[in-house]
Amino acid sequence: MKNKYTFKTFILFIFLLISILHNTALAKVYIDIDAPGFQQFPIAVCDFQNKKAGAVPSVEFNTAIADNIRHYLDLSGIFNILDKKSFLEGVEPGTPETIRFSDWSVIGADFLLRGDMIIAGQNDVIVEIRLYDVTRGQMLFNKKYSDKTGDLPTFARAIAADILLALTGDEGDFNTQIAFVIKKKAGADIYTMNYDASDMKNLTNHQSIVAAPRWSPDGQYLAFTSYKGGRPEVYLRFLKPGKEKKVASFPGLNLCGSFSPDSKKLLLTLSKDTNEEIYVLDIDAMTLKRLTHSYSIDVSPAWSPCGKKIAFVSNRSGSPQIFLMDTDGNNAKRITFEGNYNTSPSWSPRGGRIAYEGLINHKYQIFSVDEEGNNLIQLTFDDADNEYPSWSPSGRQIVFSSKQGSKSRISIMNSNGLNIRVLRENKDQLVMPAWSPRFK
Amino acid sequence: MKKHLTLIGLLMVFAFSLTIFSGCAEKKAVVKDEAIQEQKVAPTQTAPVAVKDDEAARRAKEQADREAALKEQADREAALKAQAAKDRAARNAAALNDLNIQNIYFDYNKSSIRPDAREILKANADIFTKNSAATIVVEGYCDERGTAEYNMALGERRAQETKQYLVNLGINASRLETISYGKERPANEAHDEAAWAQNRRAQFLLK
Repeated sequence: MKNKYTFKTFILFIFLLISILHNTALAKVYIDIDAPGFQQFPIAVCDFQNKKAGAVPSVEFNTAIADNIRHYLDLSGIFNILDKKSFLEGVEPGTPETIRFSDWSVIGADFLLRGDMIIAGQNDVIVEIRLYDVTRGQMLFNKKYSDKTGDLPTFARAIAADILLALTGDEGDFNTQIAFVIKKKAGADIYTMNYDASDMKNLTNHQSIVAAPRWSPDGQYLAFTSYKGGRPEVYLRFLKPGKEKKVASFPGLNLCGSFSPDSKKLLLTLSKDTNEEIYVLDIDAMTLKRLTHSYSIDVSPAWSPCGKKIAFVSNRSGSPQIFLMDTDGNNAKRITFEGNYNTSPSWSPRGGRIAYEGLINHKYQIFSVDEEGNNLIQLTFDDADNEYPSWSPSGRQIVFSSKQGSKSRISIMNSNGLNIRVLRENKDQLVMPAWSPRFK
Repeated sequence: MKKHLTLIGLLMVFAFSLTIFSGCAEKKAVVKDEAIQEQKVAPTQTAPVAVKDDEAARRAKEQADREAALKEQADREAALKAQAAKDRAARNAAALNDLNIQNIYFDYNKSSIRPDAREILKANADIFTKNSAATIVVEGYCDERGTAEYNMALGERRAQETKQYLVNLGINASRLETISYGKERPANEAHDEAAWAQNRRAQFLLK
């Protein structure tokens, strides 16, 4: 009897030991970028090597591809890209055995990326990359890519996404876009750009009051509010082939809210029943269901990524504040208590937190708070009005717009408020950025 | 018995630790791609060009030309009609503009009718009663502070409260429409308290 227990206890102990060891074995590789004290990780990215002996060295291409990868890794917000002028070791082709990791750790690199390439012809390249953990002196992963398009940025984005996936378990936000509104004297319209600010395109031609673009999570639609027809109505734009359809034009106010996680429903604010209330529209059936019933303004609904809750703005307690409710409109609960003007809720795609803008010291700043209304963090602090937060698909970055005097900006920051990067700055008003889902 | 409890306790600790560790392990995904993968981009194909019969094409073109001519004529007539309607509307609007309808103003972030607005609404209601054929559009506006969306809702609220006040004064609700311009159409473009006070308003348009 006694022996049996001892044996069981022993087995348990072994299991525990294995799980702990298993854990520490991976712990060094994983970058926990969600830790409160997260620092950027130093990475050295070498210029790529031309592998084919005797081939004409294309200096332009090896530096260009490496520069592009550096640019995208930098944009992810989690790396500190080391200046290649500080590199001690040359860029001769190396295997793990010949890399002197001490040369890299002494300049402060935690990770090292090397790559070589074969240029088979015009727009025909094969690239192989190897990512090393400098502290452990080990290769983390390698991968071979072939490209025949000559589209260097897209190529570099794919490589950067794989590096991020290897280190963080998430591919990052590389294949995403940001939609935003440019307000000009003649009227406003929606534009899109890649998340590195490249390839800006004009999407709509309404030249009117245009507000609140919202992407569907499946990337098929963009919904927005426009006064093109002389009054506020909600439009649904099919991104391919670029057609538009009016989906809400009831008497009074028609404002666009956000999509359900399955992209089949769209939240709206309508005043057709005498008072601004939140409704949900079934996009295929075009049926409407009312969710809120209060004699107050209820506006800016945002669906939670798990699909169970809706965040919205209401002035039912006197000033605009953020509330949560169930998707049938029940159990409304206030979650913001600091300040007397809190609007523009945006839900983190990973759940748990809601970003919003609030008035503090006569300026609008971005905050985030958890679903219970606890753990409030102020994310922006500068002298501008920072507004309209929208999370990236990875949940690790937030895009927002700023206004300071006559200057207007679209910027991104890490979701903890650090590492603000300006994507676009203009004298026209740049407002209401919305981060797209990932495109394939 | 005591040993039994110890064992159960240990089992629970183990189960708990497993959930924690598996929870973390999920995040710790590392791509160990020893086998080298190939990633290829498929070349795009061009669509085949349709070949048309010459005769059929000629006939189709004649037909299209005839239709285009008819459409052009219809467009011209429609444009003339639209212009006439526009002129009439402009004459009416000019006449209605001489009626001295006044704006009303609101407090910051409020949509309630202020005491000073009540007299103005009474005077306006008299004008609306005398011009019983006209439809009244109540336009709600806000100052530049705050979110565009919230201000669109607030402007609508101002227009609705104004409409309700006019209904209470005897104006038929079916003659009243509301529209909110939020903070998008300021009357005064300056960025100070005086300008904001002028921008938080309801305007009236007769048509």
